Amino acid sequence: MVETSYIPKDLEEALRLRKETGAKPIAGGTDLMVAHRRGTGVVPKFPWPVMIVSQLAVFKGIRLEDGEVSIGAGCTCHEIEVSELVPWPVRMAASLMGAQSLRNLATIGGNVCNASPKADLPVPLLMLDARLELASVSGIRQISLNDFLVGPKKTALRDDELLMRVIIPAVNPAFTYLWYRKIGTRRANAISKLSLCAAITIDTEGMVTDFRSASGAAGPRIARNRMVEEMLIGIPITDIEERLPAFLDAYDGILAPQAMPEYRRSSTRRMLEHFLRTAVTRPAHGIIE
Amino acid sequence: MVREIQFRLNGKDVSVICDPLKRLLDVLREDLGMVGTKEACGEGECGACSVLRDGAIVTTCMIPMGAVQGCEITTIEGLRETERGKCLIEAFADGGAVQCGFCIPGMVIAAESLLASNPHPTNEQIRHGISGNLCRCTGYDLIVDSIRLASERGNGLW
Ligand SMILES: Cc1cc2nc3c(=O)[nH]c(=O)nc-3n(C[C@H](O)[C@H](O)[C@H](O)COP(=O)(O)OP(=O)(O)OC[C@H]3O[C@@H](n4cnc5c(N)ncnc54)[C@H](O)[C@@H]3O)c2cc1C
Ligand code: FES
Ligand code: FES
Repeated sequence: MVETSYIPKDLEEALRLRKETGAKPIAGGTDLMVAHRRGTGVVPKFPWPVMIVSQLAVFKGIRLEDGEVSIGAGCTCHEIEVSELVPWPVRMAASLMGAQSLRNLATIGGNVCNASPKADLPVPLLMLDARLELASVSGIRQISLNDFLVGPKKTALRDDELLMRVIIPAVNPAFTYLWYRKIGTRRANAISKLSLCAAITIDTEGMVTDFRSASGAAGPRIARNRMVEEMLIGIPITDIEERLPAFLDAYDGILAPQAMPEYRRSSTRRMLEHFLRTAVTRPAHGIIE
Repeated sequence: MVREIQFRLNGKDVSVICDPLKRLLDVLREDLGMVGTKEACGEGECGACSVLRDGAIVTTCMIPMGAVQGCEITTIEGLRETERGKCLIEAFADGGAVQCGFCIPGMVIAAESLLASNPHPTNEQIRHGISGNLCRCTGYDLIVDSIRLASERGNGLW
């Protein structure tokens, strides 16, 4: 008989169940348990078999490996926000998700695999060129987050795979200035209305050697475009002002907000303008507010 | 399909035979009689169903029983027997924080969770600490004052 739910005792069993039954993992359950709830006293019902994986230690742990930060798929937003190994924009995004009670349950694996264009963690992760490690009974593979997020609620996860960890490559030299902002409604239920993560690197000669920017909840996918970023790379920081209008128009072109498009477009423009203009003044502090 | 799930509830070992997908909230209220844990929204937004799991605040309407095996759960019924719980409940009563009372068990759990990590929070930190808990009656001011009162009176408890 095919069971409706499993509690695998280790990774091997979880991968075998995934392969043989197609069971979907429940990590924190904050997306799945809510989406499939049926009311007071009634057991939630899922259209496919599920397996509870929150107890598996193999999905836990935040480590530094060869200069890269490895975050287990089962790490909670709370564990991420308090970890000094994790890059600032990811910690910041984790700390602004829901209330403490949500952050104690919600995992990075669930946030990434749910593939909502409004999910918060993929925004800084995409900006940081994060990769994912996926495992199945046939082995392990890595894929960039950009390739993994195929579209709204669509990922490149195969039916026999589980996400093991998120890997954030080292940034060398470090970014000079960073920005993260999330515009939500009620804090504890702040499914993002809009978010923006940006970073710029300026060398000792005052040249911009790197610039990146990603937008959440501003279209069916998290928006990032290397060609648009390159409009500001390789120029003296003092030239930013004159490049700004063309850059802002090009960035606007990669956004595709459905609801309240003017608001999302103009807020994004103002945030980018503020971040870049502040960077030009070369403040001492690396995090721009 | 049912399974036996063992965990600690308010300091005692308990064992429940249930569907592993049944919500912890329903098991607490229906199977174990811990009706201090309330259900309002059922979707993680109001905090009425908050308990401590291994010391960390969580909303039980989103937790399947299969994820509770081996955990230590503290509900308001357990917290109120402790010195900290007594201090909080007295402060809530003295501070006039309770109107209909429905949100209060969750508020007290949130206050405990906050004070455990920050024994002397500012008003803003208190508001942040209870931001996952909705109250339809009080407008929050008296709840915030009461948590500050508990933090002053309970000097050394947290
Ligand atoms: C009140 C409330 C507030 C919220 N606020 C925010 C917010 O501010 N920002 C935000 O981005 N989100 C928010 N969310 C949404 C949700 O909490 C997050 O998306 C969370 O990170 C999901 O993680 P989880 O572990 O709970 O996922 P689950 O519900 O357990 O799983 C989500 C999906 O991921 C899959 N999955 C999980 N782990 C793995 C794995 N290891 N391998 C493969 N697939 C996996 C599951 O099968 C499922 O499809 C909120 C939700 C609620 C209820
Ligand atoms: S009933 Fe669980 S958060 Fe509202
Ligand atoms: S006192 Fe009534 S909901 Fe808070």
